Amino acid sequence: MSRDITFKYWNEISEGDVVTQVTMDVPFERVILDAAATQDYFPGHHNPAYARHQGQKEIYLNTMAIEGFIDRVVTDWAGPHVFIRKRQMQMRSSIYAGDTLQGEGTVEKCYNDNDQHLVDVKINISTENGLCVPAVLTLELPTVRPS
Amino acid sequence: MSETFNEPFPLAYGTYEDAVKLLNKPGKKVVAEFSVNWEMIKVYCSMVEDGNASYWNEDYANKQWGGIVAPPGLLLTWAMALQWHPEKEREHYFIAMKIPLPGDTLINVATDTEFHRHLYLGDRISVVDELIDVSEEKKTRLGVGHFLTTKAKFFNQSEQLIAEQTNSLFRYYVPEGES
Repeated sequence: MSRDITFKYWNEISEGDVVTQVTMDVPFERVILDAAATQDYFPGHHNPAYARHQGQKEIYLNTMAIEGFIDRVVTDWAGPHVFIRKRQMQMRSSIYAGDTLQGEGTVEKCYNDNDQHLVDVKINISTENGLCVPAVLTLELPTVRPS
Repeated sequence: MSETFNEPFPLAYGTYEDAVKLLNKPGKKVVAEFSVNWEMIKVYCSMVEDGNASYWNEDYANKQWGGIVAPPGLLLTWAMALQWHPEKEREHYFIAMKIPLPGDTLINVATDTEFHRHLYLGDRISVVDELIDVSEEKKTRLGVGHFLTTKAKFFNQSEQLIAEQTNSLFRYYVPEGES
């Protein structure tokens, strides 16, 4: 299934703009695929007994999977021509097999820095259990839509 | 049925005082096992269902960036240790795993990354990191342990700085009777 590609330009974005919501389910299969795709075989990501030993209720996604989902939320919204300059994220709660991810956000700031046209966006990653990972990203975008 | 698991990592064990001695001492620079390759990029993007044309479409990526680029979220993967190697003992490439502390497990807490340039197919990164902070013992809802903060720098094969990452994790144990 192909998706439409959106291209946003810096001069078309304003503070307060809403970043389009993205949802994605997290079956066990995706958590195992995460371990394989990122070569991160820490057992909390594939071994339920170990996850429980850690005080977790189930195996959970690693940081790299959450980074990938956050980055997807911003580039699905703004386009593949975005360069992600910075990403700051806090893992407040784990995202477990069986959860459904939801990513949404807002534009916090649009500004110039050393001839770079930048946009700061706040992205919140939540599940049915509430906010799990708040993040702030700085995006660099082309200034004006080509005529 | 008893629940069993193998020791996940050869974690270093020791005391808070042992850990403090390793502050601000960069580890050895490690060259990644994996070069940046399209196959691993596709597997990762399929995992998060990311259809970004920069990762999938050669025509678009060539025009926009000069080639297919790696998703930023794959940064750490290129330098991950293989599960087995015919000539090397399994060793963590990231210094956080080598800090001697009492905790027998860990969880990531916060990650801040600044990206300076893209990684392209065929690039091979090297990484050097150091421990920049270790907390005294703390108790959280997960257990008892120490917060570690590390700073890593990632370079390409031309020694150009790709990214800098500051990471905080909690190295802890679950007290007896609380697991």
